[in-house]
Amino acid sequence: MSTIPRVSSAIPGEPAHFGSVLAHQPEIARSFFALYGRFWGSDVLAARIKEVARMRNARVTECGFCRNVRFDKAVAEGLGEEVVDDITDGYETSDRLTDTEKAVLKFTDALIHDPELLTGDAKAALQHHLTPAQIAELGLGVTLFLALAKALITMGLEPEAMDRTVLPTPAVLEAAA
Amino acid sequence: MSAVCAALAADPVLASHYADFRSKTEAALDPALVALVRQAVAAVHGMEPAPDESALDEGTRLCLAYARRMPFEHTAITDAEAAGLVAHLGEPGYVAFSVVTALADAECRAAQVGLPELAGA
Repeated sequence: MSTIPRVSSAIPGEPAHFGSVLAHQPEIARSFFALYGRFWGSDVLAARIKEVARMRNARVTECGFCRNVRFDKAVAEGLGEEVVDDITDGYETSDRLTDTEKAVLKFTDALIHDPELLTGDAKAALQHHLTPAQIAELGLGVTLFLALAKALITMGLEPEAMDRTVLPTPAVLEAAA
Repeated sequence: MSAVCAALAADPVLASHYADFRSKTEAALDPALVALVRQAVAAVHGMEPAPDESALDEGTRLCLAYARRMPFEHTAITDAEAAGLVAHLGEPGYVAFSVVTALADAECRAAQVGLPELAGA
């Protein structure tokens, strides 16, 4: 895995990072940030649940950038580091993660790693804990987390080193459009 | 329709945003290349036959070889492979290609877990 950018920044004076590289395609960038803001701004599924899935994806795809970013809305909903530490292999036995979060993690693993993990029991647990609308939102989120992590990694945008960083949660952009 | 679009049928606003993002990524590349990439990625997942590459130019074959790495070997893609694509597509094209290919992989996976059915669509 490369930590040397394979594409340059399109924003003068800024280093190559996801936003500055995506700026090579302004239409894609605008559409993505509008989508991502709408996704995180929706309260159909709690930000804490979305962040649990994002953290799992970060670990499985080996995205160091994703792994070190926290969104403040999820932190405010109680997703502390002691919980994040349990989002690793063996999460099924955690007493800090809720049953809902464990069902979400199983779904996340199935989507990003192996669909066979979504057994009948796992499917039933997911549908017991989440409504269809919440599952749809979760599915969108995991799809985006996975795709963006892989795009970021393959473009060589992984940081050599990065401290844990709490960022403002992406917001709806309609007012700026 | 992709599995994600289908799953979002009950949320027209989010569905519309997702469809727009998807279409903007595709519009940045040659439609024929996008179709081939989607087919090549789906083939890796065993969901479609692999595309016939016999009449394709070398640059397009290079793109498909790269796309086939995305589902299970994304961390093993080398600087040289990436440089080959940048030389063929240019930097803006490489950025769009990276997003299209990664999204194609994720959409295949969403279909494989039966996302629309889970979401009651």
